[in-house]
Amino acid sequence: MAAAVGQGDFPINYIDVDRTAQRVMNPAGLKYWLWVAFLAFLVAVGVSYWTRQIYVGLGVTGYGQPNYWAVYITNFVFWVGIAHSGTLISAVLYLFRTRWRTAVYRCAETMTIFAVVTAGLFPIIHLGRPWYFYWLCPYPNERFLQPNFRSPLTWDFFAISTYLTTSALFLSMGLIPDIANQRDISTGWRKKFYTILACGWQGTDRQWRNFSMAYLLLAGFATPLVLSVHSVVSWDFATMQTPGMHSTIFAPYFVAGAIFSGCALVITLMVPMRKWLHIEDLVTVWHMDNLSKVVLFTSLVITYSYLTEAFVVWYSQDPIEMMTFHQRFFGSQAYLFGGMILCNCLVPLLLFSPRIRTNMIWLFVISIFVNIGMWLERFVLIAGSLSVAQTPSQWRFYVPKITEVAITVGSFGWFLFNFSLFTKFLPIVSMTELKEGITWLRKSIREPYPYRKAA
Amino acid sequence: MSGEIEIIGTFTSEDECAAAIEGLHKAHVHDFNVFSPFMSEKINEAVDEVRRWGRSPVRKFVLAGGFTGAFTGLILTVGTSWEWNINAGGRPIAAIAPYIIIIFELMILFGVLSAVSSFFLTSSLPAFESAPGFRTRFGADRFGLVARVAESDVSKVEAMLRDAGAEDVARAAA
Repeated sequence: MAAAVGQGDFPINYIDVDRTAQRVMNPAGLKYWLWVAFLAFLVAVGVSYWTRQIYVGLGVTGYGQPNYWAVYITNFVFWVGIAHSGTLISAVLYLFRTRWRTAVYRCAETMTIFAVVTAGLFPIIHLGRPWYFYWLCPYPNERFLQPNFRSPLTWDFFAISTYLTTSALFLSMGLIPDIANQRDISTGWRKKFYTILACGWQGTDRQWRNFSMAYLLLAGFATPLVLSVHSVVSWDFATMQTPGMHSTIFAPYFVAGAIFSGCALVITLMVPMRKWLHIEDLVTVWHMDNLSKVVLFTSLVITYSYLTEAFVVWYSQDPIEMMTFHQRFFGSQAYLFGGMILCNCLVPLLLFSPRIRTNMIWLFVISIFVNIGMWLERFVLIAGSLSVAQTPSQWRFYVPKITEVAITVGSFGWFLFNFSLFTKFLPIVSMTELKEGITWLRKSIREPYPYRKAA
Repeated sequence: MSGEIEIIGTFTSEDECAAAIEGLHKAHVHDFNVFSPFMSEKINEAVDEVRRWGRSPVRKFVLAGGFTGAFTGLILTVGTSWEWNINAGGRPIAAIAPYIIIIFELMILFGVLSAVSSFFLTSSLPAFESAPGFRTRFGADRFGLVARVAESDVSKVEAMLRDAGAEDVARAAA
């Protein structure tokens, strides 16, 4: 029973952590499989529209002069950004020995993997001839020409593929001890499945010694990587001469935005998961409060970046840049910009209130606003800036068609489909790290949380 | 080897297990294996006191991997630029600033791959057989200390494990 663990006079102990994690992975009921079927349907819709796009051509989208970068690149940047919080929470906070990360980092890491996989699809979807996507890979063509290593798109290939590999290995390594635990208590096909994945892990002192060193070094590598990857993504834009995209603040601004949106999505996923999977005692109000503080902090960084970007444009007095920003603030699509400011700068200010930070419904709603806001930010930046090109006769405001909408919805379905399957077959909370920090976990459950009544 | 017995001590806390390891050290029993459900600094320190292993060799592999990656990135970018030597308006053939990004990414990639592969190598994974004395609870909520001792020392070591707080002490033929 969910409520049994860690409540009343019953102190949470090591086996309770296992039991709670095990309960999450118990065979799923009808509701779960209906949810998975619904997500599979969304994926099918997206795939069918993409198939049509491949067959008919990019003409089925709203693309056209001057908007050849729009929703697909927006989605790419959005999903790469979502991925970053996983590395922040798992690697950066690990290096700082931040205790509250233990309950949420596995969820964030999992999110990272599926978000990068989803992001990686969009440059391919964006291509008119997706079967030539491998041209980006660093191999010589028939004339022995290599890709241009000065091109930000080539940097992207290296950055994203390194990021995916690193994140996948980081997640897989952290999973090994927990999978071994599952191997020891499972039966049937699950036991065979976990036996293969556990690679014979038994938690000997030698294994732990090497594990902790390898994990520490992986965290050490992942930390600069997380800063580099979204910086590289930002340089896709910042190295162009296009007004509205040509700003040196993009790298830190993109990194902060990535952490902002990623942490918000962790909250979006964690709030219902705590409730439906009955893991309130492992992911406590204390964890969610700390996560929301990260969202609040990065929101302030983002707000500062928006102001700086606008200030630099004003200070430069470059007429074309000024015109682009004027269009962004007051033009026909200013409502998108307004929505972005509302969602990213104003709504997160509510998190200054401890009562809101500890109220799961408020947290969920605010995190949804942030996700919408961050998607809008990328859309305004990419499609909005391209819409008002340097020659006014070329101005054309991009409106997505059903193809882009369906593929975007399909990408959310794809992400959640993978994530939902993961939660049922692999441990979504790190049992070993929760046990390691069990004193802190007990404290977060048993001692009255400062604002617990509000939750 | 005949004449040796494996003694399996089961502990409920890492402190007791670490104390038992120190006890084994004092009793000059150095052939032992420790199982724990999570990475315990206390147990690590106690084991290190006995074995003097120092830091894990994984870091050396990672250093080598990082250097190899950086070197590969350098060769790939500068080498291919020189291979197809185009003078574009007098700009440098090998533009180091943008190449640093490729060099950096490959350094990370190779370093990470070295970290994971060396972890498997140095931990003898994948392992297809259980280590002697392993019990499934050692992966869940108990700490295990499996010592291989001469028959003449069995009683002494068993008593020491109990004194250290072992919940259960059992024998298994080695």
